[in-house]
Amino acid sequence: MIPTYAANIAIAIRTSLMDRTNFVLNSAGMVLNDIFFLILWYMFFAGFRQVGGWGLHDVARLLGIIMLVVAISGVFFGGYRDMAATILRGEIDALLTQPKSILPRLLARESIATAWGDGVMGIWMLITFAGLSWTDTPAVLLTLVCGTTIYVASAIAYASMAFWFTGARSFARDLTDFMLLFSSYPGSIYSGMTKVIAYSLLPAGFIVLTPVAFLRNPSAGTFTIIATSTLLYVSLAAALFHAGLIRYRRGLVPTG
Amino acid sequence: MAILSVESLRKDYRYVRRRPGLSGLFDRDIRTVKAVTGISFEIAERERVAIIGPNGAGKSTTLKMLSGILEPTDGAAAVLGFVPWKQRRQLAYRIGVVFGQRTQLWTELPARDSFALLRRIYDVDQATFDRRLNQLVERFGLGPILDQPVQRLSLGQRMRCEIVASLLHGPSLLFLDEPTIGLDITAKAAIRDFIREHAGAEGQTVVLTSHDTRDIELVCDRVIVINEGRIVVDQPTDQLRRQFLGHRLVTLRSAAPEIALDLPGVTRRTSEPHLSVFEVDTRATRVDAVVEAALAKGGIEDITIEDPPMEEVVRAIYDANRAR
Repeated sequence: MIPTYAANIAIAIRTSLMDRTNFVLNSAGMVLNDIFFLILWYMFFAGFRQVGGWGLHDVARLLGIIMLVVAISGVFFGGYRDMAATILRGEIDALLTQPKSILPRLLARESIATAWGDGVMGIWMLITFAGLSWTDTPAVLLTLVCGTTIYVASAIAYASMAFWFTGARSFARDLTDFMLLFSSYPGSIYSGMTKVIAYSLLPAGFIVLTPVAFLRNPSAGTFTIIATSTLLYVSLAAALFHAGLIRYRRGLVPTG
Repeated sequence: MAILSVESLRKDYRYVRRRPGLSGLFDRDIRTVKAVTGISFEIAERERVAIIGPNGAGKSTTLKMLSGILEPTDGAAAVLGFVPWKQRRQLAYRIGVVFGQRTQLWTELPARDSFALLRRIYDVDQATFDRRLNQLVERFGLGPILDQPVQRLSLGQRMRCEIVASLLHGPSLLFLDEPTIGLDITAKAAIRDFIREHAGAEGQTVVLTSHDTRDIELVCDRVIVINEGRIVVDQPTDQLRRQFLGHRLVTLRSAAPEIALDLPGVTRRTSEPHLSVFEVDTRATRVDAVVEAALAKGGIEDITIEDPPMEEVVRAIYDANRAR
C-alpha cells in the first residue's frame, strides 16, 4: 500500500509543480500571509507580555505547528481539500473498479502548492521564535504526526458528509477553514461552548493546543491524551467514510 | 462457457425529497427510482456484447453492478466466478473498465506517467508491464503522443490512452461505457477498429454500452436492448441489423424548394422548403447512390448523413417485439 501511495502522491506533487509560476506565486503568497500574521502577533506581544498565560514562545510554537500540519497535510494528503466535491461528482466510480483502497487514493489525488509556503514558514517559526532546542525534536515530530493525522481525519469526516448531503461540498470546506482558524489562536481564549467545540467538532484542542502544552511540559498524561485523541479521530473518520461508501454503493442518493 | 451470468438483477435508487421551507427539515418524502427491474442474461467467453437503450434505460447502472461499483437491490450475478459487489477487489484485477465521460488519467501529465501508476495499482511486474505497454502502443499508434500531457491530446487520442490504461493489467473482460461519446468520425472508427481487433487477438470478452448504433454494428456480435430497466431484445447483431440497424438518415439542403428521389428503399421522412430528410434502407440502396442521385439533381448546398437516434431504434425494436 505504501509504495502505491508514494507513487500516487509523487504524481500529484509533480502535477502541482507543473506550472512553476503559479507554484512560486502561491507559495510566496502564503509566506507573505504568514509573515503578516506573525507581525501582528509580534506587535501584540510588544505591548502585552502574555495572553492568558501564553507568551510569544507558546504562540510561535502554536503557529509553527499548525503551519507545518497544514503543510504536511496539503503536500502529502492534499486530496482532503476537494474530497466532498469528488464524491458528489461520482469520481470514486473509477476508483471502485480498481483493486486498491479508496480512501488513500482520494487523499493522494491532489497536492496543494501553497502548502510548501506554510512548510517553509512553519520551520522558520519553530527554529527562530519558539525557544526550542534540538532535544525537543522528537516531541515536535510527535506533535506534528498526531496533529496532521487529526487534521486530515477531521477533514475526511467533514467530506464524508457528501455521501449524505449535497451541501457537504461547501460546508466541508467551511468546517476545515474554521478548524484552521480555531487552531491559530491561543487556547486561553476559549471557554464555555467554544472550548467544547475546540475539543470536539473543530478539534484545534488536539491538533495544536494540547501539543503545545506537551512541548511546554512533556508528560505521560498529555502524551496519552494526544495519542488517544488521534486514534479516536482516525477511527471516527474511517467509520464515517466507510459507512458513506456503503451507502453510495447501495445507490442511496445524497439529499439537498 | 458463460463467464458472466446475471439473474433477476434489480436496482432501485432511493433519494429523499425535502419539502420547501422549515417543514422540510422534518417532513421528508422518500422516492424510489427503479433503474433496473429484474434482468437475466449470460455472456460467453470471447463474446462482444452491446447493451443499448435510451437515456435512463439502466445500461450504465447494469455495468456499474457488474463491475462491482454498485450493489444491486436484488438478484444475483457472477463475473469471472466472482460476485462483483462482494469481491470487488479480486474482480478488479481481472476486468478493465472505461467510462467514456470520466478519465482515469492525470490530465496535466503525459499518459506514460498514469500508466506507470496503474502498474503499481494493479501489482503488475515491470517486465510484463513493459511488454504489454509496447504492444499496445504499437497496436494503437500511441508512440508520438505518449509523452505529451493528456490535456493537450484530442478527444480521440485521449480515449485511445484511456483504453490502453484499462488493458495494461491484462484483463480478460472489458467493460466500456460509451467509449466513443463526443468523438469525431475518424476517432470513432479508430476506437472501434482497435476494440474489435484487440479483443479478437487477445480473446477478450467485451461488454459495451453505447448510444451510437455504429458502435454496435461494427464492434459487437450480440445486442441486448434495455428499456425502462428491462431487457426488450437479446439477439445476434446480424439479426438485429437486418431488422433495425441498416437505416441511415440523409438530410439535403437545396436551392430548389424540394428534392425528389425515386430510389428503392428511400422514403421521405420530413420536409420543409429547401430541406429534405430521407430514410435510406441500405439493404436496398447504398448511401453513396442516394448522394449521387441527389447531386445529379443539382443545386445541393449541404448533405448530412446520420444514423437514426438510438431512442428511435429502441422504440422500433420495442414495437416490433410487442407486435409478435
